[in-house]
Amino acid sequence: MKAPAVFLLLLLLGAAPAHALTLTRDTRWSGELRFAEQVTVPAGVALEVAAGSRISFTAGGLEVAGRLVAEQARFSGKQWDGVTLKGCDAATRLRAVEISGARTGLLVQGGAPVLDQLAVRDNEVGIELRGKSAATVRDGVFTGNRKVGLFVKDDSAASVTGCRFENNGKYGAYIYRARPAAFSGNRFSANPVGLMIAYFGSDPKIEGNRFENNETAIEVDRAAQPELRRNLVRNNRTGLFLQRRADPLVTGNRFADNQVAIRLAFSSYPRITGNDFTGNPLALRLEFQSSTWEREQGAAARAGEVAAVGAFGSGQGAKTVTEAERRPANLDGTVDAHGNWWGDAGSLELARGGEQGNPGFIFDGRDQPTFREKGKDYPLDTVVFAPWSGAAHTAREEWP
Amino acid sequence: MMTSVFKIMLRTLSALAVTLLLAGCGEERGSGLSGQLLFQDRPLAQAQVEVYLKADKDRSVQPFAVGNTDAAGNYRVELPPGRYFVIGKQRGEGPDGRPRMLMADAPGNPYAVERDTTVVPAFNLREMGREGGLSTAADSGVSGKLTAAGRPLDRAFVYVYTETATGLMGPSYGEAVQADGDGAFRIDLPAGRYHLVARRRADGSRSGELAPGDLNGAYPGNPVTVRRGEHLQLGPFPLTVIDAAVHARRQAKGTFAVTGTMLTGQVLDPQGEPVRGVHVFAYLDSRMVGKPVHISAPTGTDGKFQLHLGEGGTYFVGARSNYGGPLEPGEWVGTFDGRPDHAVTVAKGSSQSLGTLTVREVW
Repeated sequence: MKAPAVFLLLLLLGAAPAHALTLTRDTRWSGELRFAEQVTVPAGVALEVAAGSRISFTAGGLEVAGRLVAEQARFSGKQWDGVTLKGCDAATRLRAVEISGARTGLLVQGGAPVLDQLAVRDNEVGIELRGKSAATVRDGVFTGNRKVGLFVKDDSAASVTGCRFENNGKYGAYIYRARPAAFSGNRFSANPVGLMIAYFGSDPKIEGNRFENNETAIEVDRAAQPELRRNLVRNNRTGLFLQRRADPLVTGNRFADNQVAIRLAFSSYPRITGNDFTGNPLALRLEFQSSTWEREQGAAARAGEVAAVGAFGSGQGAKTVTEAERRPANLDGTVDAHGNWWGDAGSLELARGGEQGNPGFIFDGRDQPTFREKGKDYPLDTVVFAPWSGAAHTAREEWP
Repeated sequence: MMTSVFKIMLRTLSALAVTLLLAGCGEERGSGLSGQLLFQDRPLAQAQVEVYLKADKDRSVQPFAVGNTDAAGNYRVELPPGRYFVIGKQRGEGPDGRPRMLMADAPGNPYAVERDTTVVPAFNLREMGREGGLSTAADSGVSGKLTAAGRPLDRAFVYVYTETATGLMGPSYGEAVQADGDGAFRIDLPAGRYHLVARRRADGSRSGELAPGDLNGAYPGNPVTVRRGEHLQLGPFPLTVIDAAVHARRQAKGTFAVTGTMLTGQVLDPQGEPVRGVHVFAYLDSRMVGKPVHISAPTGTDGKFQLHLGEGGTYFVGARSNYGGPLEPGEWVGTFDGRPDHAVTVAKGSSQSLGTLTVREVW
């Protein structure tokens, strides 16, 4: 990547079709370029894309194993393969780059590239981070991606901060068997599910993010065990949905004005403490949640639900999850939600009813003693809400 | 169920009849399998050979036939024509008096038996530890350092094979470890002879088809012999980048080989729309796990595929986006459902259409 090897590809007089190619030396792109096949930047070769460049693909994509530096450029196409970064280190930097119309806008396989202020829109998947990638994803905008805005997979230890996730087709972001080094300061709005954290081995710390106006702000599924701290979860249909052995730690968050702040289902035993709940018609709702069912049926049900199944949903994969790892630690028929502040109205109601009361903002076994499955009645768990806090844990100025 | 039991009984009786007939016929022999079992490359006497009709790992059923090795490790099992899975076993004591279980599947399973004797290439049994993998031994093993272009190479995986029959590829390795940030690795192994290969895929994964740009290498000193109480220092273990042209030539062979026998069809989503980027896999094993015997190129925008097969026969067919590993969210997956067991039988030299193969997205 020596300077003398750099040559310029200047296309200043309108668009011209370019051919598929493997770059053999350091290259600079500028202007408008169109490709119909794969472009490869092998290891040891650098590609610089000048500000204002517009790169489009009618087929193929850009695959970089060397270095890519791009600023204020646009990569677009219709169902093209997108940009792939293979093991690129922090010398690969994309800043204020727009990527659209791809199957996967940006696939990061390993490495630690810096992705700053990207606009990732209208792809099938916006960005996918995998292969233990330690990428930095900062201040990006993910919008209109048909499936997922940002996929964090495969032990990726990326840092994801200051991003906005809006109007994506299924999930704003999806964390699958990964623990990002940081996941904070992000905003999620108008997504069917803002943030999905699923499968055993997904135990990220999600801290200081805002979730507003989503169908479901955060969903935790299939034995994932994240920590959810200091997030604002406001004005969603469901603030937090926990199901199938989801056991997060939920603390220091504000749940405000959601139709249901937290829904729990199918043997999920989180620790919910030190949060504020205000303006939610229902703060906690339990559905199909029973320690008795878990003791009798849980292990058998999970046998067919283990994440590490083989190629076509049967057999065993390489990364087996043991039943011991997925079994709840405590099965006494309760869900722990003590030490929370339930808002002014909730606090008054608790003061009236006391520890033995049945607060109207919690739907549990006090409201529906049993549910029926396969002809048998199981007791619905109850929520332990006492002792509760007399004052808010979070400051309003924290989330203006 | 009754039919299959009846078939097995019939085959057993046939085999017994053949054996009895042979007893009165001097040197003349009927159909069957023969071969030699080894341990650490030496003939293994008084070991057991079990022959199964299926490749079921749990093998809850009794073997179809059983034989024993002689003093030279040789065996012969009389069998009617058919296709068989062979495993070798020996339960006993190791040199230190500890209970020891040796076991291995014949690398080329299954073997077809026709009119006469099919020879199974000699194969080594290996000492089994927990989970069926190689048993580790803290006092013996190998260490080394992975390099590429003379520099330390991090994140690559080192795979330990006890056999070369699969070309040191696929999931039949006995052990796999990932090198550290400096390319250093250490593997505890029982005494034995091993073949080491190392690979680094761009996505950092442990399994999956290699692609141009990935790094690959076999240890130059293969096979490596580890003795009891010895920890071998292997020194530098170089890997090289897979060249695109070489990769393309390899693709034209093996599981991707273009042959006159093939399955065709179209991969659709549940709404009937073509799905791009899906591979169709053919397995000989009804469980459809492990390495498929044939793989199609990924489907294009029209969802159409051609799956070339080496031989005619019955194959179990599935489709998914990735080559291997557990299913991931966002991945397309499906099976051929023309039969409940996902099987299709194709004659050698013919092209057969499977129609449509529906896949769903895993979330």
